[in-house]
Amino acid sequence: MLPCFAAVFVTGVFGQSYPPRPPSHPLPVDSSKRPPYTKKFPAIYIRERSTNEKSIAVDPNVEMKICVLEGKLKINGWARDEVRVFVKNGSSITLKVLEKNAAGKPVWLRVTGSTGPGDQPSPRTDCLSGENIELDVPMRASLNLEGRVTETTVDSVKKVAVKNIGGNIFLHNITGGITASTYEGDVTVENSGGQISLVSSTGNIVAFEVSPGQIGDIFRAKTSNGAISLQRVDHRQIEANSISGSVLFNGKFLSGGLYNFKTSNGSIRMTLPVESSFQIIASYGFGSFNSDIPLKTILENVTSGGKSLHGMIGAGDATLNLTTNSGSIGIKKQ
Amino acid sequence: MNGNCFEIGTIQAFLDGETAPHLSLKITNHVAACEACAHLLAEAEDESSVVFSILEREFDSLVPTQRLWSRINESIAVEKSHNPFWQKITFALSALIANPSLAVAASVLIVFSMFAAVWNLRPDTANDGNRDRAAAASIQRTEQPATLGIISNERENMPQASAAEVYSVKETNISSDKLRKLVTDVSYKEAKSQTRPQFTAVRSSPASVAEYLPGEESYVKTISDLKQNLDGQKDNILNPSSRVAYERDMAVVNDAITKMKEVVRKNPKNQSATQVLYASYQNKIDLLNSVAEREELMASLK
Repeated sequence: MLPCFAAVFVTGVFGQSYPPRPPSHPLPVDSSKRPPYTKKFPAIYIRERSTNEKSIAVDPNVEMKICVLEGKLKINGWARDEVRVFVKNGSSITLKVLEKNAAGKPVWLRVTGSTGPGDQPSPRTDCLSGENIELDVPMRASLNLEGRVTETTVDSVKKVAVKNIGGNIFLHNITGGITASTYEGDVTVENSGGQISLVSSTGNIVAFEVSPGQIGDIFRAKTSNGAISLQRVDHRQIEANSISGSVLFNGKFLSGGLYNFKTSNGSIRMTLPVESSFQIIASYGFGSFNSDIPLKTILENVTSGGKSLHGMIGAGDATLNLTTNSGSIGIKKQ
Repeated sequence: MNGNCFEIGTIQAFLDGETAPHLSLKITNHVAACEACAHLLAEAEDESSVVFSILEREFDSLVPTQRLWSRINESIAVEKSHNPFWQKITFALSALIANPSLAVAASVLIVFSMFAAVWNLRPDTANDGNRDRAAAASIQRTEQPATLGIISNERENMPQASAAEVYSVKETNISSDKLRKLVTDVSYKEAKSQTRPQFTAVRSSPASVAEYLPGEESYVKTISDLKQNLDGQKDNILNPSSRVAYERDMAVVNDAITKMKEVVRKNPKNQSATQVLYASYQNKIDLLNSVAEREELMASLK
């Protein structure tokens, strides 16, 4: 009964007919003898699993919306006014033009994997999925990515907004701003600029060589569980907040800048030039405070649970707010 | 078999464990040496895994014979439960009478029960008096610290009076100002003890509103609303590892809030502690928000 049913199903699904099977023994099916479940993607996508590629000419400032269910996503900026999408062992590709410019070139594009067999749209396959998904887009493109479980790498585009449920996010050479959030994974930003907002629930956040694009651009980093590490972040306003992780800052505080670092349980460590100039307003509850750079104490309260320090290093050009409940605060020389 | 190779049907049967032992051995030995058959076997295995995963629910369900047995058992159970009560008692009694020693034991038990019932129903005035006195003493003990000796309990003389009516003022040499203060204190304590159980929600109690720091109430209200929305959904939204991380962070934040609240209550002017408290509230809101946002994203990607 079972093998017959299985054979009929296989024939129906895969469209192949196999030679008749030898008469089977009336043995009960032993589930322990079943082959292990080795596939990488849900069964619903198996029949669409193929390698596909599509491209389209677009406006250089194209805005793209991409949804990815699963797979390694890699997006590169290139010096051509064209979008190329490549999916290895995954869904088919559909490029939907949402808006065109006066010259008839797409300025707003949506990339989906929405068509199943017979070009029937299916809500379950609305997003791309595959083993590897690669996109080449114009360098001035702005991307809006959403994903379920994806490892996302974006390099050399203008602006990125990415939101994942799970998976690491790596962003390089993004010039016009970043909004990145993942619930389970790390966020790494390198050599980028503009207004930046990085959020992770259980991962670390690393940013290095990051600068503002315009005056007033803010850098924000927030994680619940992980550490935040900032190196040479040149924004004049930085906010870093972790609940049980630590906050590390290696760089310099710019004149007039406002820097807010908060943790609940973790430590706050800063490595700064000796000639730094800033005022410190630190509230460290049940924690501790230590500075290798000499500071002038303006006001200090050492009552347990309500410890605070208002001090100044140099002329006090920048403002540094530090808040921790039970972590330690440390300032070291560069 | 095509030449030396096996047909796909035989390989499928082999995968299903339906081939005879000697044939299974033959296939195993052949596949180990033949690359084409190994490839064919891998393909068949892959297809089987797809089929089995799809039909998993069907496989796990009961086979017809088992289903039939369970139905029969269910029918018997239902039939038994439908028997009238008097019929069950009749069966039980007949079984009891059939055994003489059991019948004697049961009759002794019945006689003893009747005797005990008659004994308990007898009026007992002495005990009632003791009970009243014990109650009066307990009331007096509880009220004494508040009344500071100027109010006495006269329950023994007025057994029908309510709790509010049992107080009477006796002569005292305490000044009128002090007396007024004492009465005000007592009224306040009574009002507080009466209202507190009625207002379990923290934000709706006037007494507890007065305990909030400026702006704290909005934090508490927001947290309460977010919690209500997420109650019972966290298991669906968060996988086990995320749930553990979430609960750990929540515990850290709650601990920080509790500690800082205590510090702020002791010294409300401590701006530093207040700042840490507010930061902890904000952390809690962010944590709860992250779960809600995650749910939204998951829903949008389905």
